[in-house]
Amino acid sequence: MCEPTTPRRTDGQAPFDRGLGEIRAGRRTVLTAAASGLVFSTVAGLEPALAAGPSTRKRAYVLVVDGCRPEEIDSGLTPNLLALREGGVHHPRATSMPVMETIPNHTMMMTGVRPDRSGVPANAVYDRELGDIRTLDRPSDLRFPTVIERLNKRGLRTGTVLSKEYLYGIFGERATHRWEPAPIIPLSEHAPDEFTMRATLDMVEEFDPHLVFVNLGDIDRLGHTDLTGPTTLEAARRLALVNTDRLVGDFVAELKSSGRWEHSIVIVLADHSMDWSYPDRIVSLQGPLSEDPFLADRFVIADNGGADLVYWTGPRAQRDKAVRRIRRIASDVPGVLKAWDRRADWLRLGPESGDVVVFCQAGWRFSDPDVYSNPIPGNHGHPATRAIPFFIGGGHRSVTLGKVSPRHARTTDVAPTVGAFFGLKPPRGGYDGRSRL
Amino acid sequence: MTTQTPTSTTLARRTVLAAGGAGSAAIAAGAGTLPTAQAARARHDVFAHGVASGDPLPRRVLIWTRVTPTRAATPGSGRGPRVGVRWEVATDHRFRDVVRRGRFVTSAARDHTVKLDVSGLQPETTYYYRFIARGQRSPVGTTRTAPAKRATPANLRFGVVSCANLQAGWFSAYRLLAERDDLHAVLHLGDYLYEYAPGQYGMGQDNVDIRPHDPAREMVSLEDYRRRHGQYKTDPDLQALHAKYAWIVTWDDHEVTNDQWKKNAENHDDTEGNYLKRRARAHRAYDEWMPVRMDGTASLGDGARLYRRLRFGDLAEISMLDLRTYRSKQVETPLVDSEINDPSRSITGNRQLEWLKDSLTRGNHAPQWKVIGNPVMIAPVTFADLPNRLVDPVNDVTGLLPQDGLPYNVDQWDGYTADRREVLGHIDDHQVKDVVFVTGDIHSGWACDLPLDTSAYPVLGDSMGVEFVCSSVTSNNLKDITGQPALTPVVEATIMANNRHIKYLNFDDHGFSVLDITAERTQMDWFIIGSRDDKQTTATHDASFQTLAGTGTVQRVATPVGDR
Repeated sequence: MCEPTTPRRTDGQAPFDRGLGEIRAGRRTVLTAAASGLVFSTVAGLEPALAAGPSTRKRAYVLVVDGCRPEEIDSGLTPNLLALREGGVHHPRATSMPVMETIPNHTMMMTGVRPDRSGVPANAVYDRELGDIRTLDRPSDLRFPTVIERLNKRGLRTGTVLSKEYLYGIFGERATHRWEPAPIIPLSEHAPDEFTMRATLDMVEEFDPHLVFVNLGDIDRLGHTDLTGPTTLEAARRLALVNTDRLVGDFVAELKSSGRWEHSIVIVLADHSMDWSYPDRIVSLQGPLSEDPFLADRFVIADNGGADLVYWTGPRAQRDKAVRRIRRIASDVPGVLKAWDRRADWLRLGPESGDVVVFCQAGWRFSDPDVYSNPIPGNHGHPATRAIPFFIGGGHRSVTLGKVSPRHARTTDVAPTVGAFFGLKPPRGGYDGRSRL
Repeated sequence: MTTQTPTSTTLARRTVLAAGGAGSAAIAAGAGTLPTAQAARARHDVFAHGVASGDPLPRRVLIWTRVTPTRAATPGSGRGPRVGVRWEVATDHRFRDVVRRGRFVTSAARDHTVKLDVSGLQPETTYYYRFIARGQRSPVGTTRTAPAKRATPANLRFGVVSCANLQAGWFSAYRLLAERDDLHAVLHLGDYLYEYAPGQYGMGQDNVDIRPHDPAREMVSLEDYRRRHGQYKTDPDLQALHAKYAWIVTWDDHEVTNDQWKKNAENHDDTEGNYLKRRARAHRAYDEWMPVRMDGTASLGDGARLYRRLRFGDLAEISMLDLRTYRSKQVETPLVDSEINDPSRSITGNRQLEWLKDSLTRGNHAPQWKVIGNPVMIAPVTFADLPNRLVDPVNDVTGLLPQDGLPYNVDQWDGYTADRREVLGHIDDHQVKDVVFVTGDIHSGWACDLPLDTSAYPVLGDSMGVEFVCSSVTSNNLKDITGQPALTPVVEATIMANNRHIKYLNFDDHGFSVLDITAERTQMDWFIIGSRDDKQTTATHDASFQTLAGTGTVQRVATPVGDR
């Protein structure tokens, strides 16, 4: 779940407030784009020489079409995305990685490593130190160096244009240039794609970063709340697809008209796809787990829409027993696909994700701690939302025109691809993903 | 046919092959005898049953032959001495670059078959192989190893066949596939041979035996099964296709007997002894005579597990199913009771079902295309609204049981809906893309989407994957049974109108298909032959359908692969 309702924050500071604090503290300089009046912040004291950057004309643009399903590119609603896909390198077998949520997959894109190394396994986790559930939206939550920072160290300029507040939060001050998103829709806590793309174009025009990382949130946000989703009519979502596609078309046209296209790669992917549930297909684990005398009052659930993260809060010595019981009880609840011991090798989620990771079946959603906690029909986080579009367009010679690859591409492949494009060495310990160039 | 002389048949076939294209010439080049064995060859052909290869892996492939060391050592006879057979595998058809060679000892205990798993080969490489025994050389076979595990081949192309009843016609579909030089292997989806006695299941309404089965009785004993396998393997068209390409096979029911299930079969009664013992004999003969790894090995007697996976780099993996050995009994009254939906009944058996689900996901290691070699149709098909006079003929073709106008074919996945729900639900739950079921069994060509919910499909179009069904090589189809081709369009139109997910249906033609897989799409071409009793009949292209990567739906395309 992307938490379109206001997430709980127990540190008392929302990401935008934190960003404002950074500006007030003088760590970032505010600039306003002349044409649109949109606001950007830039690392304070950036030397003119650095601002000019090294003498490479290469540019990489990562456009995350949040929550887009791969088949939607073939739906006829997205001719510009389709043209970009067919003119570049297409990976029809591409997936999001667990937990199939926004924050972990965006951090996987920018780090190239799995959550057990990045520290970001989900959108919502139980913070044991804090004793409460919170959104992973603090810059310090992300422990692994991003390709953004590593490019900065090379003297290259970077930019983030992130439409969602919690993405703005976790990527914090990392980029050389950052859009200060506005306006924000209160309920969904994201900026409409119209503004996000305007900001992207302005950032390219004003600052010309070597890497720009963009999150377009409309398709996801309108998917979450689309009450026609379960019928696959998806009326609101289809409108969002058409609009976002138009904006991507504008962006590509601008790259071409400005002469940047020949030196650019444009990576387009989603962070996860989307599944819709009927109102009667809700899984709530709080009740069944509480009814077990051994578990009662000694566990916490962090609801991530299609995945519940269950944390054992009792004595450490009883953890294994608790995991067994949680898995057994959860597995018997209708709508549960599978309950995994978080330590399962393939998950690679790290301790922040708790002790048991429970996925729901297609067409269901979790709602914890009670059945009213998650009212939205569109959800992700479970394996039914793993398939994503993934293609690399652009006019740079490293992009093979019209190539279709059967290789399995993942969200972790973005940083290795960008790194390889700019000649960066892999980070210490290597990437978990691979370059797709 | 039993009266044909193996020597002359083989020789004639070789002549034909030598006159063919370059690939065919390669098959014939090494065939024949050592100079010193000229006289012996005139007496009998040691390699009268040809050569075959199968189950290609990146570094291994099975090669097969059968030797007839003495004239008396006929299939199933139990006669003949132990004999050593030399084998060679080379990178050239003249065998100047032999990369693997060895010696294999066979005997009457294994019906003088030779089956070995050649290792140490290079991926994605064409090899030539032959056998030498009793002063004779076998025909030369060609085979090709699979791409390496992480390779990304530009394409994979397979011939697709099923349902080859020797009594019902000539195996022209095999001949025509063997004339192609663009395949990587052949998929055989079952009913490789039939159990019937002469006069029981021939060509058309009158059961004309184009050539009678040997032995002249329903096969029941081990000797029967071996003789029948031996007879089929003397067919020159079958030999040519075996020699030309590696085969990847599974069985349906007729390799044992009609409509078999895990404990019995429709075509088995107490006078024929214990069914499970009969099945074990059939499986033994199959293991001896087919180029397939049963239970993962080339050895005999170590198990009869036929379901298995073959990977072709990152592009595709083929999971071959066995839908007979573990299945529950077919229901008899699906409209009266709801047994077809009973989750305790299974078409796969629990272990194979879990294995199949694992084939579809396989963590992060599954290749792009998940191809399922599927002996019977998985797409739901209702035969409701068919005109009454057409119900029985359709039943005859499709195997609908019993013949009283029931709307489902209970011998297919339609008779085991819990298993189908489990498989399609698994695809949905894990958002598995690019699943292609390739199917045989029902003597007709089909291209279908695979809806999770057929009632919602006409509106929503949700599909979990696709199914391509090849027609029969010779086994009777609708017009063969009705004798009235004009009726078929009515049946086809009715079925398609009631099953909107079915996009192509050809109930009247025999032939073969070609499956071509690239990263962009998977395409199936249907080729149909002329008359089954015409040995020289040719093939024409009937239809082509593809599924684009990621879409899970089929769409018609104009031209077959190879025309590009």
